[in-house]
Amino acid sequence: MSEAAMQNRLFIPRSCLTTEGNKTGSWRFLRPRYEDKTAPCAAGCPAGEDIPKIEMLTAQGFFKEAWETILQENPFPAVCGRVCFHPCEGSCNRGEYDDSVAVHTLERFLSDTAARYDFRPSFARLPSRKERISVVGAGPAGLAAAWFLTLLGYSCDVFEASPEAGGVLRWGIPAYRLPADALRQDLRRFEREGIRIFTRRPMDRQFFAEAAGRYQAVILACGHGRGQSLSIPGEMEVGVIEGLDFLRMIRASEMAVGGGTEAVIVNGAGCGRSMDTLGEGEAAAEGSEFPGKIGEGALSSFDGLTAVIGGGNTAVDVARSVIRLGGKAVICYRRRRQDMPAFADEVRMALEEGVALEELVSPATAGRDGEEIVLSLRQMIVAGMEGSGRARVIPDGDKMKEVRVRRVIRATGAGPEESWMLPAVEGTKVLALSHCRLVSGEGKLVVVYAGDLANATKSVAHAIASGKEAAIALNALLREGSEAVIPRLQACAVGDGPALSMEVCLGGERRLRSRHIVSYTEINTDHFGFAPRITQPRLLVEERVRSFAEIDLKISAGLAMKEAERCFNCGLCNGCDKCWLYCPDVAVIREGEARRIHYDYCKGCGICVVECPRNAMSLGEGEGEG
Amino acid sequence: MDAEITEREYMHSGHVGCPGCGATIAMRFFLKAMGEKTVLVLPACCWSIIAGSYPQSTLKIPVIHAAFETGGATASGVRAALDMLGDTETTVVTWAGDGGTFDIGFQSLSGAVERNEDFLYVCYDNEAYMNTGIQRSSSTPYGAWTTTTPGREWKKMRKKNIVEALVAHRIPYAATASIAFPEDLLRKAEKAKGIKGSRFLHIYASCPTGWRIPSEMSVKIARMAVQTNIFPLYEVEDGLRYTINHKPRGYLVREYFRHQGRFQHLTDRDLDEIQKMVNEDWELLLRKAGERV
Repeated sequence: MSEAAMQNRLFIPRSCLTTEGNKTGSWRFLRPRYEDKTAPCAAGCPAGEDIPKIEMLTAQGFFKEAWETILQENPFPAVCGRVCFHPCEGSCNRGEYDDSVAVHTLERFLSDTAARYDFRPSFARLPSRKERISVVGAGPAGLAAAWFLTLLGYSCDVFEASPEAGGVLRWGIPAYRLPADALRQDLRRFEREGIRIFTRRPMDRQFFAEAAGRYQAVILACGHGRGQSLSIPGEMEVGVIEGLDFLRMIRASEMAVGGGTEAVIVNGAGCGRSMDTLGEGEAAAEGSEFPGKIGEGALSSFDGLTAVIGGGNTAVDVARSVIRLGGKAVICYRRRRQDMPAFADEVRMALEEGVALEELVSPATAGRDGEEIVLSLRQMIVAGMEGSGRARVIPDGDKMKEVRVRRVIRATGAGPEESWMLPAVEGTKVLALSHCRLVSGEGKLVVVYAGDLANATKSVAHAIASGKEAAIALNALLREGSEAVIPRLQACAVGDGPALSMEVCLGGERRLRSRHIVSYTEINTDHFGFAPRITQPRLLVEERVRSFAEIDLKISAGLAMKEAERCFNCGLCNGCDKCWLYCPDVAVIREGEARRIHYDYCKGCGICVVECPRNAMSLGEGEGEG
Repeated sequence: MDAEITEREYMHSGHVGCPGCGATIAMRFFLKAMGEKTVLVLPACCWSIIAGSYPQSTLKIPVIHAAFETGGATASGVRAALDMLGDTETTVVTWAGDGGTFDIGFQSLSGAVERNEDFLYVCYDNEAYMNTGIQRSSSTPYGAWTTTTPGREWKKMRKKNIVEALVAHRIPYAATASIAFPEDLLRKAEKAKGIKGSRFLHIYASCPTGWRIPSEMSVKIARMAVQTNIFPLYEVEDGLRYTINHKPRGYLVREYFRHQGRFQHLTDRDLDEIQKMVNEDWELLLRKAGERV
């Protein structure tokens, strides 16, 4: 090339390397990491259900997986999707944004979907162990204990006094809230998992002597089935009816005929006693059309007014059942409506259905006047507040009130059938836990008091919590000794407890979650938009009062997915990829479902942590495992 | 959720942008929309540094480093060269900071768009000369501290409305975008790519270093600028048709200022004054968009 040509050539330097040789991660002094945390709903659920995961899977259309996620912590999705008082919704972070997620309705949807497609669950289960456990009482607590002990490898036999399993779910809660078919849907799985339920097998002291040889432990979960008397003059004479017995008689009229529960119930032949209130007369009602036969005997007519004494769910259930039998009902409660232990929604629906409410009255005497009962009520006034937030009431001088009714039903609390069923209070070998009580001794049969016998709050969710706690505690006791019980329970706590996780106990992925409970201020609401909460579809009032048909109706998959999408999934990575999207250093790596930070290049700016909509990431000092 | 945003990256890790740099987020999003048939003209700006010093390059597309004032002119030349080669596929993009756009490069930008050169000019705006040490530009907002508007001498002039200046040239497309609204940003980049003639994109890119904000707040602050109407998202076609792309719920500007070190000296009265200015600008925009008579 000539010199002139060389001079006319244009030289431009051209870069040929990437910047990947610069390990800019060395600039970092704060380190982002993926860290799933605990959602307030999960910690607020007595059964410790992994709600953010359930809603995430539901929103993604993985209904079976969502349903299995419930089952991992709660063997009763069909039941709890109907009767749980859903404290989860009260602690939902979304409640501070627009309206809490309808977790309860979605649980019901998942159980409906499972029934529709006859899902067969698969879940973690430990290998079989030699120990055998007997469970007394096939109510929610006893069955839950049997379920979780089965998952832990034990073989369980459940003994139930009444002709069908379910306890309060079968014989207490009315069918319009929990149809027998829904309960059976959950019960069927117990048999499939090899849990034997012996019905018509009541318990007595003799049982313990026999059990000692065959079982290593007994779970006592026979519930509070005996109502408490009003202790007023005339109570016996006028024949005040016990609310629990009343509900039991109604439910007895829809006994299983053919198929149905036979798969579950292994009939214990030659049983001594069936249910207290199920004598020969009621036995005739088996399989009959409801409510035709209920009328035979004492409750021949529901004309006129029925007074229901009490303010709990039993009182409301009784009053609403009376309405459905064609009668009228007035609930007499000694405090105010807002003090009633019954679920607010149930009270509201009862009033819609025509139940009257008489607040601040306490029964004083009862007397008969021909066909009618004269109930005199002492008027009460509020005299301050109790620690629990309820009003403290005292008689308002001598002021009295009189109501004339056809019958009186009491629902003023219940206790155990026999006094020896009450758990031991003290002793060196008594371990009092939050939902159950363990009594053990050298070489002796371990006895665990569970359910209503040991629970302060008598709800289905608390009964399940009790069964789970009993199972985890008993497993720790049998495997590692009594010293291990408390540490084991703490290791399985959801958030700060007392809710426990069986998935954690079985070594599942949930054990990796931080205990930190995500608060509303930790949610990046920029990534959410306002969306109305689904309304639970229900029968119309006029349809409701005519029969015991279930009130809550089904919802479609489309609506369920839309509602589940409203869930913030607090503390749980749902793969939204905001971390990947906003990273200025292209240092978030996606490998299938997993996300990973490339620490060679991550400068630790922390944008990923702030932009994470659900606080599933953390920013901290130190270079520990990421 | 963001399935529509391609996984394809046109930027390498290991670039030397500050932690939390909004300008790098802007580039990452922008190139995802543009794809590999893009030539980038880089007049002096932060990105001259971020793109890598010789022999490194952090971008997977061709880049020409150009002099500060020549963003418009260099792009015109590259376009002419590509035309001579018969390459109609490649989009020529000038990627300039606010200094190179609002101040130093304004004449060549104005000249190029007046000729309606077929190129896309992107200004990523971090509201001062950041890589030279936070000197004020005509893009620096009213009220801001910079090293050349220090202490009580904080900037008392309003930010130049660059989009309106470009709209006045009646170019085919001019739009604003923000790093906090990726879907909107990508859509506008794709739209601009498909238009012939001069297009202008004004991208709001926060600067933790110059704004005195924690790096992790970078995107959040950019989002707040939109939510408070300080930086509205809109587009203008043919200098005539205005479309407002995001209608905020009306957060107060106070929220946005509170988080930034560069505004800490402002009193409540100053903030009230600024709120008035923002409201005035928003009303003006609504009128232009035909949403106010």
